[in-house]
Amino acid sequence: MEVSFRDEIANLRLGKGEVFRGEGILAVTKALLQSGVSYVGGYQGAPVSHLMDVLVQAGDLLEELGVHLQTCTGEAAAAAMLGASVAYPMRGAVTWKAIVGTNVAADALSNLASPGVIGGALIVVGEDYGEGASVAQERSHAFALKSGLVLLDPRPDLPTIVRMVEEGFAISEASGMPAMLELRIRACHVFGSFVAKDNVKPALSYKNPGQPARFDYGRLAHPPVTFTQEADKVARRIPAAIRHLLDHRLNEVLGPAEGDVGIIVQGGLFNALNAELAEAGLSDVFGRLRIPVLVLNVTHPLAPEQIAGFASGKRGVLVVEEGAPDYLEQAIGQILRRADLNVALHGKDVLPMAGEYTPPVLAAGLAQFLERYGRRWIAARGLPEPAAQARRAAQAALGAALPARPPGFCTGCPERPVFSAMKLVQQQSGPLHVSADIGCHAFATFAPFNQGHTILGYGMSLASAAAVAGTVPRRPVAVMGDGGFWHNGLSTGVASAVFNRDDAVLLVLDNGYSSATGVQDIPSSRPRPENDGGRGKGVAIEGALKGVGATWVRTVESYRVKEMMRALRDALADPVKGLKVIVARGECMLARQRRLRPAQAKAIAAGERVVQSRFGVDPDVCTGDHACIRLNGCPSLTLKPSGDVLKDTPVAHVNNDCVGCGLCGEVAHAAQLCPSFYRLDVIRNPTAWDRFRARVGDALLRLFGGRPLSLPAPAAEPAARPVPAE
Amino acid sequence: MTARVPHRVLIAALGGEGGGVLTDWITRAAVIAGHWATRTSIPGVAQRTGATTYYVEILPREPGDPEPVLGLNAAPGRVDVLVSTELLEAARRAEAGFVTRERTLAIIAHRRAYTLAEKVAAGDGRLPEEALAEAVRAAAREARIADYEALARRAGASLNAVLLGALAASRALPIPEEAFREAIRAGKAAESNLRGFEAGLTGEAPAPRAERPEAPAAKDDLSWLPEAARPLAAAGIARLTDYQGPALAERYLALLREFAGVSEALAVSMARHLALRMSSEDVIRVAQLKLAAARAPRLVQEARARPGDIVHVVEFMKPGPAEILSLLPPFLARPLLRLVERRGWQHAAVALNVSPTRPFGFLRLRLLAGLRWWRPYTLKHAEEEAWLARWLDLVRRTAATDPAAAVEVAETARLVKGYAATDQRGRANWARIAAEVIEPALAGDPPPGGLADALVQCRIAAQKNPEGGALEAVLSALAARRTGRAAA
Repeated sequence: MEVSFRDEIANLRLGKGEVFRGEGILAVTKALLQSGVSYVGGYQGAPVSHLMDVLVQAGDLLEELGVHLQTCTGEAAAAAMLGASVAYPMRGAVTWKAIVGTNVAADALSNLASPGVIGGALIVVGEDYGEGASVAQERSHAFALKSGLVLLDPRPDLPTIVRMVEEGFAISEASGMPAMLELRIRACHVFGSFVAKDNVKPALSYKNPGQPARFDYGRLAHPPVTFTQEADKVARRIPAAIRHLLDHRLNEVLGPAEGDVGIIVQGGLFNALNAELAEAGLSDVFGRLRIPVLVLNVTHPLAPEQIAGFASGKRGVLVVEEGAPDYLEQAIGQILRRADLNVALHGKDVLPMAGEYTPPVLAAGLAQFLERYGRRWIAARGLPEPAAQARRAAQAALGAALPARPPGFCTGCPERPVFSAMKLVQQQSGPLHVSADIGCHAFATFAPFNQGHTILGYGMSLASAAAVAGTVPRRPVAVMGDGGFWHNGLSTGVASAVFNRDDAVLLVLDNGYSSATGVQDIPSSRPRPENDGGRGKGVAIEGALKGVGATWVRTVESYRVKEMMRALRDALADPVKGLKVIVARGECMLARQRRLRPAQAKAIAAGERVVQSRFGVDPDVCTGDHACIRLNGCPSLTLKPSGDVLKDTPVAHVNNDCVGCGLCGEVAHAAQLCPSFYRLDVIRNPTAWDRFRARVGDALLRLFGGRPLSLPAPAAEPAARPVPAE
Repeated sequence: MTARVPHRVLIAALGGEGGGVLTDWITRAAVIAGHWATRTSIPGVAQRTGATTYYVEILPREPGDPEPVLGLNAAPGRVDVLVSTELLEAARRAEAGFVTRERTLAIIAHRRAYTLAEKVAAGDGRLPEEALAEAVRAAAREARIADYEALARRAGASLNAVLLGALAASRALPIPEEAFREAIRAGKAAESNLRGFEAGLTGEAPAPRAERPEAPAAKDDLSWLPEAARPLAAAGIARLTDYQGPALAERYLALLREFAGVSEALAVSMARHLALRMSSEDVIRVAQLKLAAARAPRLVQEARARPGDIVHVVEFMKPGPAEILSLLPPFLARPLLRLVERRGWQHAAVALNVSPTRPFGFLRLRLLAGLRWWRPYTLKHAEEEAWLARWLDLVRRTAATDPAAAVEVAETARLVKGYAATDQRGRANWARIAAEVIEPALAGDPPPGGLADALVQCRIAAQKNPEGGALEAVLSALAARRTGRAAA
């Protein structure tokens, strides 16, 4: 992590009555400290990475409060950490990205939920659903139902989010159920404010330790007590949670008390619902509703009396619940049936079963529902006509669909050359089966690489190739990032492949961080004592590989395309059956540039000798075939007009974002592409020796009829001269 | 009383372009101005150069207001201001209905970051900029599409700060300028960002530049050519004179004369492709170009070299055995090339990292460029001549029967370009089209739908997906339709 969170940490220190301004996920972080947590853990992943990132750098504050912070190596570890609250009256919180993280954590979650907790346990999940999501589209709701977790889905404004964090601990303690707080992407990043409270020092913490809990077999998730625990969930815990949520009014009934129709909505969707109702004159920007709405900030468990009470006397109720299956609608239907209420239930009949509830989708569903009950819907039923008109006008002007723009490797990314090498090897020796994985390297599934047959989960690539080996002509290649390697891949993939003598190639991309989630440290990150938040231990991936019995292990600098091609060919051709591992090493360029750029600028300004490199393309030499781009795809390798009337196709062009990683030259060589590429090496603040050599060289050059590029030094020795901007 | 409605701002950008910071400035300025404000984003992995959006709602505060319920989702038809750092992303929002005649002011940087789909085509895959701009203009209430990046460059600031200035200048939001400045001051790099803000606020963003290159002035009288072909011919003369000398340029004009009268389109096409194919890229040509005097100022500028800095260039040249041996005369080169092939040495290339800014690198290039006189005796030349003769023959024969298709036959020359593997692939594709489409047509068996149409399909397929099977698919489809017709 090369980013500083100074301002965010200052926000975490706010005291009673001060106004916090910031993003949703940071508000959650502050709320944890206000709730007196003893420990916080988690695994990074958008959109909740920020929670951990900020706390990692807030060492001083956590030390003052006595809060233990664990940057877990996986969600399973984070969930297991909540075990502390099974045995001790300690509040603890963990965080990860759902649905994937919840899946990984599921084993520990079941065993946590079975005995239940005595200290409040809160799981903050980033519900990565809808536009901008990067994982399989499933709901966390299922886990709450099956394990018996309280599920909180707060209205997406900061005061409600903060309150639900605090209430999450309270309801967890009141019921013994662990609580899960789900925050959608936009809610994690929503900006707002709330009035802060003082942070609370936990009663029991590493600063204030107690004695080991007394032995109590009843607290173990182990038979025969698991049967008692299951009964306890339904007989005691769920009713206790329902009592708490009613007593503390965690769900909100808004709008008029009476009405023949009503809406029940997940808290997280309330603002979107209100915007559509406001558009139709049934609410306003302050949420003054003209139709009764029950806002479920707690979506599990449901309080039957609350649901039935809301529905009773109404002709129809609409459940606004995003995603499939329709868990809430089913549960509400059952409640209404049991209460013998003759209320028509709507939900997925007027709203789509799957997909994000965007404004036009909600408007269409609301219109259909309300009009059925004789209400006038004055707003658009779906896409408003002006928008439809504008779409048609824009489409007419464009004439064709616009190309998508998925995310891709950063400029100078060390993973790109590996896929260039893979593409070249496949061009020469035939297609390969490629098991892809989760991480930045999954961008290789997009153009121009278009590689990867399956993605089965984080660190799962090698395991997912196990049954493929032997069924295709060449060894399957599994790609895995170092993040996935430590998360799951070492045991699930490597140890299993070695144990079973799998005949496969594993390509580990060792870029030094968990980059896709925001450049967090992992065990193999280099230790950086200069960075307080740095947690890396520099554990060698090769050492871990050999430790679990891998014998064919080769490390290649990831920018060396030729060497990478050779290693791949060797791994594919090796006559001995068994796992071949190539570790492609190259530091994440995002992290590297964050560190290097300011340092370099400072050094240049201070008059120190710095060599800066960048690449370029000669427009006269380039013929505009763009084969280089098809093997590269770097954002800084782009197009520009040829500048020649005869060549009406654009030529390749390296823009000023180039960081001089060298891939352009490597690919040009490895693929024998073309001689258009060149590298510029600029020696800033040259030494006397540099200048002497340049003078001699330039003199010879002139003698031969050439002309040097360097500009003559100014007469006076300059002080600090910044490099001119583009 | 009409219902109070928030001001809604949608920001479209690519990850890593500063859209998040821009959004933050707007929100904070709104708070500083005393309004209710919220913003949100869906950055996710899109921060890695993918398309992404940010959304802001601002509600002017009145006394006694309860806490408002502001939205997190931009809605089609309900966006007051669209700010975009890039043209295609702006068009994408327009195409999705977020930009409307009733409401939307669009402030768009006329600037392209090409998508990969556009970049990977072997020809020109770029979307027309004018169409992208028009898509926004056709949908918007008001579109301010200008080269804000030029303003940013001039101010030595980043684009997002300039766009903030342009937004402030539009007065579309109830936020005074000073509030924007205060928001910038609270963030990082305040000094340069304030410079950018002022530039956007008061500066006149230049209209986007047209990308038309200048043709050299023609010394010869080219009035015998259709007007549209003249600048191309003038450029062709200059190019060939530089390539080999005036004699080659004369030969070019002589060949061109043949086609001048057929049609304007053919004259244009031949003026272009004759010039390019008669100056095909060989090692000698590359050395010539690397030593061209016109190159130096561009390199200095790219290096951002300051006086006193030392700049060196390293060229990435890697001629393969085919390229090196093809400099020999055919009777020597052919047996040697056969040997290379027999031994499987085709990929055994010599990496030449030559530095023309160092004396010995310069000498090596100089030596190669000096081989210009030898060029007519090389195998490469003989092969180029043979290709040229075949292509000219096909164009001539088609022109005699089907002048419209002749233009498309001429245009097939586009497929032949580049170096080494690219060159081989292009020639192989061209040879297939010649043999499977053009020759049969000239022999009285035109492809279904006509020769011109079939050639356009082939060319597009070969350029869109050069390494893939797109051309193969088009050729088989044509063959299948032909057999179908024969059967019927």
